[in-house]
Amino acid sequence: MTGNKIKVGFYSLTGCAGDFLNILNMEDKLLEVFKLLDVVEFALASSKVVHEKVDVAFIEGSVTTQKDLEVLKKIRENCNVLVALGNCAVWGGVQAELTGLDAKDLMKSVYNTTENYYSFLGEHKAVSEVVKVDYELPGCPIEVEEFLELLIDVIRGVIPEFKDYPVCVECKIREIPCLIVERGEACLGPITVGGCKARCPYYNAPCIGCRGPVKEEANVAGELSMLLEKGWKKQEVINRLRLFAARYKDIAKLLER
Amino acid sequence: MVREIVVEHVARIEGHGAIKVLVDGDKVKEVKFEVFEGPRFIERILVGRTYYEVPDIVARICSICPDPHQVAAVRALEKALGVAVDWQIEMLRELQLLADVISSHALHLYLLALPDYLGYPDALSMVDKYGREVKLGLQLKRAGNTLKELLTGRSIHGCTVKPGGYTKVPSPSELEKLADMLRQSMEGAVLAVKLFSSLKCPDFARDENMFMAVDPGSVYGFSGNHILVSTGERYPVEDYKKLTNEVTVPHSTAKHSYYNGKSFMVGALARIALNGKKLKGQAVDMLRELEPKLDLANPLTNNLAQAIEAVYAVERAIEVIDELLDKGLKQEVMIEIKPKKGIGVSAVEAPRGILYHCYELDDEGRVVKADIITPTAQNVANIEKYIKITAERLLLKGEEKLELPLELVVRAYDPCISCSAHLVKVVKLR
Repeated sequence: MTGNKIKVGFYSLTGCAGDFLNILNMEDKLLEVFKLLDVVEFALASSKVVHEKVDVAFIEGSVTTQKDLEVLKKIRENCNVLVALGNCAVWGGVQAELTGLDAKDLMKSVYNTTENYYSFLGEHKAVSEVVKVDYELPGCPIEVEEFLELLIDVIRGVIPEFKDYPVCVECKIREIPCLIVERGEACLGPITVGGCKARCPYYNAPCIGCRGPVKEEANVAGELSMLLEKGWKKQEVINRLRLFAARYKDIAKLLER
Repeated sequence: MVREIVVEHVARIEGHGAIKVLVDGDKVKEVKFEVFEGPRFIERILVGRTYYEVPDIVARICSICPDPHQVAAVRALEKALGVAVDWQIEMLRELQLLADVISSHALHLYLLALPDYLGYPDALSMVDKYGREVKLGLQLKRAGNTLKELLTGRSIHGCTVKPGGYTKVPSPSELEKLADMLRQSMEGAVLAVKLFSSLKCPDFARDENMFMAVDPGSVYGFSGNHILVSTGERYPVEDYKKLTNEVTVPHSTAKHSYYNGKSFMVGALARIALNGKKLKGQAVDMLRELEPKLDLANPLTNNLAQAIEAVYAVERAIEVIDELLDKGLKQEVMIEIKPKKGIGVSAVEAPRGILYHCYELDDEGRVVKADIITPTAQNVANIEKYIKITAERLLLKGEEKLELPLELVVRAYDPCISCSAHLVKVVKLR
């Protein structure tokens, strides 16, 4: 630390940059928050780069290319605390939905070439699959409020707490009518970790699972059988389950292509 | 002496991009604007999924412009499904596109481009000297984002946008509040025009250019069924392949586009060049006054074009809200869709230019094939053209430091390729 400011870096791997952009989207608090930090790198917002050790490294994006892999390992060596932000860093992102498909076929189908020009690793990995991760904040994108809470805890040296209950709990708190029971929607609220205040159900849209499953507790089989009972097709439910969490063990098992 | 000029990571753009110029004496041998964003195969993720899931997935292509992706998707899907939407849905979609233009232009002008011109690494470092500018820029950005939150549930990757309409329609009082917020943000849009018209815009990148933009009809806007080319041609959006002629090149995950063998530009400058006559309100007066400065042959004037568009977008958004409130908002349910087989193509104007989406659906409404062509992909060949021109001219003048001018050229296009470390170096090969 220099003075009382913590030294932080924001590093992007493969993704849409939405987690960091969401931080820039807290326009009202931005100047105040950044006064607390000594930001050594944040390429989306600044051309300033200082290659040095940081107290906290925030990572967004999946580990997709050889470069991602090398950059990430170097960051881990140069930071005290490593925080994975957003679905890409925590679960591999929507691109990890393709896990199990042949890399050459993918290149052929989208870029019309079989050569691996982009040093694609063949799959899109979560950050924790490659290096030790201290904290993970889920979401696609992250919730800014949760980021601020985490940041304050890290600044204070307090161990942060993370949500361990599903989105359903937040629907109940906000008294949102259940989209599964009332409308038969393929809502993933029962298995998806809360923290978004049931944002999508509040807007009458079923949860698509962008925060990933409640780790170790999500009853994937139960969700699947409940939606099958409601008349949903198995393949469609599996597609939805896989979208943001294809690398979660109970969901990976369901692979049917 | 052969040397390579490398800007390894262009910062303050959305994504990972690099500039490489191979120089022999004062001749430019080769130019590459490399896009090495990791490949994510979004089009492939869509295959086999139902039409309903598409807008949520395509949003994830880009965090700055998830909205045009969503609107392009629902428009193309509705064409494939043979569904027509009503006036209110069309107006809400226009509002969503305007909201994205406001927040994206504010982000680019104030946070990404302005630091170049004022000599700072970033906007936050400018606060001491340019506090008012940064605050008004952020206020403008917030207005666009708040409008997005209201319409779609959040500023990034909204959740209400589906084929057949919005899952939730804002209330009249919420829209009224938004109109007030937009009125207050106008100062930031007007200031952007003042700033970018007073800053000296370098002319090292002048050369005749070709433009393309969506024909919005009679009112300046961001969607339509035809494409205008600055050659005077007009094509239905279904002809998009002919207009973009995509090729995958070894040094980039962005496919390169050419039309009749030539590169072209899309984005704010192209829209003003082709549709400027359709502007209304304060933006018209500004355009008239600034026309001598808005040199169409100089892509660097794209920033000024964005600023004029920001003014228009704020005014137009207020107008759309007024029209919606006048007519009375229906808190209506969405239009019902019966899955069927079909193909649909759409084009919308994202902040950075034309965005094409094309879907082929099977009889159960599942995606058989998806094709998405982004504005940055269309611009890459044009960016390379102007990097070459700039490098050649500056080398002839005996300039040694090319990195910043080349970055200025790239950043003027506001490329969106999803950012990273920043390192400028000149490698002398021999």
